[in-house]
Amino acid sequence: MTQRAIKVPRVLQITVMVLVLVCTVQVGWWIYDQHRYAVEKVAELQRAYRQQAAAARALLVAGVPVARVQTLLPGVELTPDGARPSPAAEHRLLTEEHLRIEQYAWEGAFFLLALGACIVIIALALRAEALVMLEQDNFLAMVSHQFKTPLASLQLSLETLALRPTSAQQTQVLTERMLADLERMEGMVSRILESARLDRGRVELRHEPVDLASAVRRASASAEERAAQAHIKITTEIDPGLVVLADPLALDVVLRNLLDNALAAVAPVGGGHIAFAARRAEASVELTVSDTGVGFRPADGVRLFEKFTRLQPGGGSYHGTGLGLYIVRRLMHLMGGRVSAESAGAGQGSRFVLVWPAAPAESA
Amino acid sequence: MNAAGEAVHHILVVEDDPHLAAGVVENLRAEGYAVERVDNGRAALEVLETDAFALVLLDVMLPELDGFTVCRTLRERGDNTPVLFLTARGDPADRVRGLEAGGDDYMPKPFHLKELLLRVRAILRRWDWYHSAAAETSVLRFGENEVDFRAFRARAWNGLTQELTEKEAMILKVLAEHPGQIVSREDLLERVWGYDVFPSTRTVDNFILRLRRRFERDPANPRHFLTVWGVGYRFLIEAES
Repeated sequence: MTQRAIKVPRVLQITVMVLVLVCTVQVGWWIYDQHRYAVEKVAELQRAYRQQAAAARALLVAGVPVARVQTLLPGVELTPDGARPSPAAEHRLLTEEHLRIEQYAWEGAFFLLALGACIVIIALALRAEALVMLEQDNFLAMVSHQFKTPLASLQLSLETLALRPTSAQQTQVLTERMLADLERMEGMVSRILESARLDRGRVELRHEPVDLASAVRRASASAEERAAQAHIKITTEIDPGLVVLADPLALDVVLRNLLDNALAAVAPVGGGHIAFAARRAEASVELTVSDTGVGFRPADGVRLFEKFTRLQPGGGSYHGTGLGLYIVRRLMHLMGGRVSAESAGAGQGSRFVLVWPAAPAESA
Repeated sequence: MNAAGEAVHHILVVEDDPHLAAGVVENLRAEGYAVERVDNGRAALEVLETDAFALVLLDVMLPELDGFTVCRTLRERGDNTPVLFLTARGDPADRVRGLEAGGDDYMPKPFHLKELLLRVRAILRRWDWYHSAAAETSVLRFGENEVDFRAFRARAWNGLTQELTEKEAMILKVLAEHPGQIVSREDLLERVWGYDVFPSTRTVDNFILRLRRRFERDPANPRHFLTVWGVGYRFLIEAES
């Protein structure tokens, strides 16, 4: 992966350099060629004027009247000593030559500039693409790493069943362990797909009034069994009728991810408490999810919501893809709300605060 | 002691994933080992400071302190307990890092249970062999060097004390068991590391170089650790004149 990261820009740099060089040489050659052409043409015309002057002198010597010669050869100035190319014609020629050269210089410079701009744009685009590829590689590496632990556990349980006779009770334990591992992997797949969808902007969210108390009730009901097993108590304190403007499905994903996160944080300390509390502020609704789990360093409050962040020590290392809270932040943003996290430090529990603009009927 | 009257090996499992840890612990116990488990690197170092284990199964990505650091700290403390890394990071660079940190073997996740048990057995067998051999002949003298296999310490010809790593001591032990005979690189690899841990037999050459630097008066012209080109090494107790 690292090799690739170095290789792509280097190939790019060389290609861009060669392109710039070829284009500069090409445009330089073009300017030189045009200049040479203009100078040659002027020289040819000067030669033609000189021939005309010689012809005029010959005509004068042959006795052709001056007026007649002047009419025949207007580019020649007749002097008492003979004839020479007219200064006005010479001047016109030189002016024409300068104008041409100036034109080529301007046009050439413009072409060079345009070429340079094109090359820069292409190089930037290629560089951006290389970065995207690198990110995808990192993503794949991270995802495959995340899958290997539950996969190893699943394989171990199956091979244990295959290798040695087990009692009915042991078989039951192993089966439950395998089902839980499968559930972990299923959860990871959904989160990865969800985050990929969010990254590509392929989500259209509805904005409709949703009853917050029932949404929280639904999400916590789904986690009740897991919470009971881990000796975790979930409480809710939400006024009935508190409504937020949100997409019902996205809100459900947000609440479940926060709940999963809280369960993973409380389980390692041997049980505890997760509390949902909501209140109405002036023009917004605020939902707080607090837990008595492992907590985090106050400085990590922002990093928590970045992709693939899994803080140590924490239950996050167990279920985590490092995507759950990233999805929460993205969805909250898309719903017009925001999310923040705070903790007094490791072992001090944590508090997640979701804020939505209140539904119009509510704020009115 | 187990039912058959054999000494029971104590194994420490350091793994933060509860399911995987439970699976490994149950299987090792079923094989007759006494097993203890901790779920983070710091706890592992604490337990290893007070208790003796025959083997540590060590995850790499651990809370508090990663597995590589745990292993390196152990070696710095002079603890030569064998370490088998069990990790989701299976690329060759990580393997090398693990072995450089002082690991004995490296198994990427997901792994096969039978293979894990085989490797555990192989490490313990090698370790048992070393200990029993060291108990029989704990001191080796060659030239003006003196090696104490039990203390992993040696006094070189120049009077300097040399702390030996577990692998150096084991290589020296294998060679000392066959003085004057040719020992192939493959034999050394098999006896000291097991089968496919290292990518090549060149590793053995590197360890021989280290031993020469420690014990030869002129490492460029060795008189105890002789190379037999294309085959392996010959160890001489009395320097070749």
